[in-house]
Amino acid sequence: MSAGEFAVIGTGEVPTGNFPERSEFEIAYTVARMAIQDAGIDKDSVGAVLCAQHIMSNPDNDYNTEMVFGRLPEAIGAKGCKVTCMTSSGGASSYSIRKTAEGILRSGETDTVLVVHAQRFSQFTANEQAKYFSIAGCDVEWEYPYGMTYNSLAAMITQAYMAYTGTTIEQVAAVCVACRRWAMLQPNAMFNNKEITIEKVVNARMVSYPLTTLMCNVLGDGGSAFVMTTAEKARKVCDRPVYFLGEGSDYSHRTITRANISDFNQLTRFLSPIANEAYEKSGLGPKDMDMFEIYGSYPTINLMILDSLGVAGPGKAGALVEDGETSPGGKYPCSTNGEAMSFGHTGTGCGFAILVETVRQLQGKAGKAQVPGAKFAIENCGGGAFMDCHFTVMGNEIPG
Amino acid sequence: MAQEPIDINVVKSMLNLTDEDLVKPMPIPTSWSQPFWDAAKQHRFVLRKCSKCGNVDHPPYLYCTNCSADEHEWVEASGEGTLAAYAINIFGVPFPFWVDLPYVVAVVELPEGVRMISNVVECDHEKLENGMELEVVFDDVTDEVTLPRWRPVDESRRG
Repeated sequence: MSAGEFAVIGTGEVPTGNFPERSEFEIAYTVARMAIQDAGIDKDSVGAVLCAQHIMSNPDNDYNTEMVFGRLPEAIGAKGCKVTCMTSSGGASSYSIRKTAEGILRSGETDTVLVVHAQRFSQFTANEQAKYFSIAGCDVEWEYPYGMTYNSLAAMITQAYMAYTGTTIEQVAAVCVACRRWAMLQPNAMFNNKEITIEKVVNARMVSYPLTTLMCNVLGDGGSAFVMTTAEKARKVCDRPVYFLGEGSDYSHRTITRANISDFNQLTRFLSPIANEAYEKSGLGPKDMDMFEIYGSYPTINLMILDSLGVAGPGKAGALVEDGETSPGGKYPCSTNGEAMSFGHTGTGCGFAILVETVRQLQGKAGKAQVPGAKFAIENCGGGAFMDCHFTVMGNEIPG
Repeated sequence: MAQEPIDINVVKSMLNLTDEDLVKPMPIPTSWSQPFWDAAKQHRFVLRKCSKCGNVDHPPYLYCTNCSADEHEWVEASGEGTLAAYAINIFGVPFPFWVDLPYVVAVVELPEGVRMISNVVECDHEKLENGMELEVVFDDVTDEVTLPRWRPVDESRRG
């Protein structure tokens, strides 16, 4: 990808939360129309419709089957659709689906791609969800028999990170506080009506030491969509397109024990080169960024990602967050939608939510959460048991 | 960290769980991992070593993840390890594990150059420390399955 070859011109999003009456199909159809209307384009100009995977399936009416069998273009009346498919890589889906979209755009088959995510966890019982996620986060043969969970995976990464960097549990908790402050400004966030304090986060019920309940993300129903096009078309149809300026990717492992690092304490060493690649390709650096749109899913992962972004130095992100620098009004706004901890975790959709928020910010449409004069941001996503990481520098102009 | 224990029977009736929901998950070996579990049952800790390039794979896969060769041998590992990271599960684990709370899950580094997820047992939780030396112990969880777990070498850390 050369800098600024592709752009997002419109987004759509529904509130995240517990909405059992709102089906995943309703979410998908709703956010699709919102994104098309926000982009200001004719729905018939959409030449490709891409969907991300719905986590867990309802055997009576399986969303994933319906989507790969072409339900969405028919339902939204995308009469010009030539290609439809599903692309997913867990929490990294917003990235892998975007690369699919870019391939379609580059093929010349169409110049307009609609990308949709929808999720309704609330149709499944607590036990069904617990079972799914206890297996999804770890290896059924080598980890699950030992009582490993997603939360314990994040907890052991937190424990190692704190021991290695000297980061305090209060600094870890500060990430949750900062996320909540942003979520308070977001109408679609799951937790947007009650502030939390470091003390409250630290003293919440212990789940997996050193993580308390308020340091663990909460699953919610939700969805979002965006319209992607070529830079050339974007300039014609949109007042303020948001361009993809540079990106970096790497894959590490399925099973955390096989993480592609020599020292387990230094996961940041995996992340830094990826972020640097994204910066270099964009011709911009950390000083140029107005936002750091991190999707870590757990507070410590956010710190590790922030460590790698060139603003605090390895192991120093905690102090920055504790000082309020990543909160609204701070010098380094981070995860401005409140992220998985406060926006809510919508399965494969967290990366979509952070990308959509990045676009809203750069289009000046972020409402109360708007970072004044935002021009450039770096966003990221990753999936599985922290299997990969993708950084993208985005901007509402193409530098130099 | 001490918190009220939760009665699994209360949860069981609240959530309409069946006895089946409380059955511990066991490893389901593949054709290429079966020798590991067979050895564990005999209280031997073995690792898959490639005969072509010498790479040790854990978890093992169908063929060597370094050179793709099939040829391999199962070598006796030292049974020594060090603690790289740990978590103490207190709450919110899958139902079959509620009876074990609180328990330690950990990343154990082996001198053979691989890591594994396991439990640290027979340990005073206050004395867990990254880098501490561990030794493998074999837990015959059923007649069929033995899980290798780890305990501190230093007896003063045991609990």
